[in-house]
Amino acid sequence: MSATDDVARMLTLVPWLLERPGASIEEIVTTFGTDERTIRADLESLDFCGLPGLGGGDLFEVDIVEDRVVVRMADELRRPLRLTPREALRLVLTVDAVAEAMGEELPALRSAVDKVRSAAGVPDGVRVQLEAEGGRWVAPIREAIAAGRRLRLSYQGRSDDSPQDRLLDPWALHVAEGNWYVQGYDHGAEDRRTFRLDRIAELTVLTEPVTHTAPAGPLPPPRYAPSPDDTAVELVLGPGARWLADVIDADEVEDLAGGRRRVRFSTDALRWVERLVLMGAGEVEVVAPGGLGEDVRAEARTALARYA
Amino acid sequence: MSAKVERLVNLTVALLEARRPMTFDDIRRRTRYYQQDDHESARRMFERDKDDLRRLGVPVETRSLDAFDVETGYVVDRANYELPDVDLTAEEVAALALALRTTGDEGARLGLAKLVARAPDPADLAGHVPAQVALTDAPLDDVAQPLVTRQAVRFRYRRADGSDSERTVDPYAVLSRRGSWYLVGRDHDRDAVRAFRLDRTTSRITPVGEPEAFVPPDDLDPDAHVSGPTEDDVDVDVAIAPAARWEAELRGGVPTGVEHLPAGVEPAGAWPVYRLREGNPWRTVSWVLALGADAVVVAPDELRARVVAALEAVAG
Repeated sequence: MSATDDVARMLTLVPWLLERPGASIEEIVTTFGTDERTIRADLESLDFCGLPGLGGGDLFEVDIVEDRVVVRMADELRRPLRLTPREALRLVLTVDAVAEAMGEELPALRSAVDKVRSAAGVPDGVRVQLEAEGGRWVAPIREAIAAGRRLRLSYQGRSDDSPQDRLLDPWALHVAEGNWYVQGYDHGAEDRRTFRLDRIAELTVLTEPVTHTAPAGPLPPPRYAPSPDDTAVELVLGPGARWLADVIDADEVEDLAGGRRRVRFSTDALRWVERLVLMGAGEVEVVAPGGLGEDVRAEARTALARYA
Repeated sequence: MSAKVERLVNLTVALLEARRPMTFDDIRRRTRYYQQDDHESARRMFERDKDDLRRLGVPVETRSLDAFDVETGYVVDRANYELPDVDLTAEEVAALALALRTTGDEGARLGLAKLVARAPDPADLAGHVPAQVALTDAPLDDVAQPLVTRQAVRFRYRRADGSDSERTVDPYAVLSRRGSWYLVGRDHDRDAVRAFRLDRTTSRITPVGEPEAFVPPDDLDPDAHVSGPTEDDVDVDVAIAPAARWEAELRGGVPTGVEHLPAGVEPAGAWPVYRLREGNPWRTVSWVLALGADAVVVAPDELRARVVAALEAVAG
C-alpha cells in the first residue's frame, strides 16, 4: 500500500471518528477493510497532524483508551473528501451488481444505489445486468441454504449429453461473468463442486438436512480450473464467427489474414466445443483435436435430417 | 513512509484552512516543511506532493497572485473538497456494507467509508443469505473520469469483422452484460449513439476537449444499443427432443401443446413444440444450432431456413 492510499484513508478516518467518539478499533478495521496494525499506525500519525509550526496547539488530539478511540481538535477535516470518479464508479457498479442479484430481498439496497449514484455524480446509464436464464432457481436455492437442506439437481454439465442427477449440500450462490452459480458439496463427487444455474434442468429442495457445511472463509470464485487431463483445442474462426473468440476464454488468440482468427485453449468438455462449432454456422475450422471436426459434421447431418 | 503521510495530511489541512491562496513561501512558513537548503529540490518535493494530493482527488487549485503571473498561490476550496452529506438510513448503510462484503471488493471500501462517514451506523440485517457476487474485472479506470465529468474520449476500436478505426465518443453509460463491459455513447463521426465493447478497444481511452461538453439524452436506453444490429424480435416455435425440454423451459419457452414428428428420429416419436416469445432472432438461431440434433425450428419459415443453411454450411 502506498503513502497516498494511507493519506486517502486518514482523510476519511478523521471525519468518521469525529462522528463516533469512542469507536472501537475493531469497528474501524471493519469499516475501512484493513488490519489493526495499519489503523494503529494511522492513529499514531494523526497525532502528529494538524497545523504544525504553531507550538503544538493546533495539532489533532488522538486518545486511545482500551481500544476505544477519541479524536479531537480536528475540525479542519470534519467532512470527508469527495469520491474520485474511479471510486464512485467502482462503488456504484459493485453495489448495482449485488442489487441486481438480490435487490428483491434487500429493498434498502435499491434505494441506497440511487442515493449513491446522485451523491457521486455517476450517470444513470452505469449498470450491471445479469442473465435472467437460470434465475428461476435462485429463490429455492437460497431457501435451501438458509434452512440447511439438501438439494437434488438434474444437471447437464458442459461435457454431458443429457442431464445427470446430483445430490448437493448447497453453500453459496455466486454471480460471476453475468451468470448465476451454486457451490456446495457434491455427494456423488465427494468434493466441492460448482453448478451453473442455467444448466440445471430440475431442482428439488429435500427434507434431509445437509451433512457437509461450508468451510470457514470465503469460497473461491466459480472459475474453470484447468487440469492436466484437458484436451488441447485449436480453432480457426472465419470473419462471421470471430465473436466466438469473446465467448471462449482462450489462452491464445491470433489474428490471421482475411479477418480470420486462430484460438487455442484447453478444455475437459469437448461436447461444449462441438456446440461452439455448430454455432459458428460453418465458419469454424477445427484444427485440433483430430476427429472433432468430423463429429460435428455428423451431428449437423443428423440435425439436417430432422428437417427432411 | 509515515513522514510523507503526515506531510500530505498537513499540507491538505493547511491549504483547506488558508484564507487566501498561499505562495510556496507561505506554505513553507505555515507547515515548516520543504526547508531544504537546496530551494530547487524543496520545490520539486512540493510539486510531487501537490500532484499526489490531486491524484487522491484533493482539489488543489493554482491561482496567479498578480497580473504578471510571477507569484503563484495554492488553495483548496472547501466547497470542492467536501462531500455533501448523503441522506442514508441505517438500513441502507447496512445494505451497502453487505453488498461490498458479498463481492469481497476491497477497492470500493474507501468510497463507501466516505459516504457513510456522517451517516447513521448500520442497522442489524439478520437472516440474510447473501449471494457472492464476482464482478468481471472492468477496464473502467480510463472511462471513469470522462464519464463523470462529461468529457469526450478518443480510442481505437476493432469491430467484430476485424477492421480497426479511431473513434471519438461522448461517454453516456457503461454497462456489463453477459459478463462483458460496454461503453455506450455518441460517436462523433457517425453522429449516432453506439455501443463499444471495452475489450475491443486497441488503444488507451483518453479524454479530449473540455469537461461538461455534453448532456446525455434523457430517454437514453443503453440496452437497446448493446443488443447490436437491431432485428425485430420474433416469436419462434421450436420442437425439442423430450430429454432436452428443460433447455426451452429455462429460456422461458412455453409449451404450445402441439407436437412435431421430426424425420429420422429412432425410435420414431413426437417432440413437444415450445414457443419462445419475442427473442432476438440471431440469439435464438445460435441457441438452436448449439442444441444440434435435439432441436428443430418449426416456425417461422425464415428462421427455419437460416438454421438449415447454417447446418448445411457446417455439414460441408
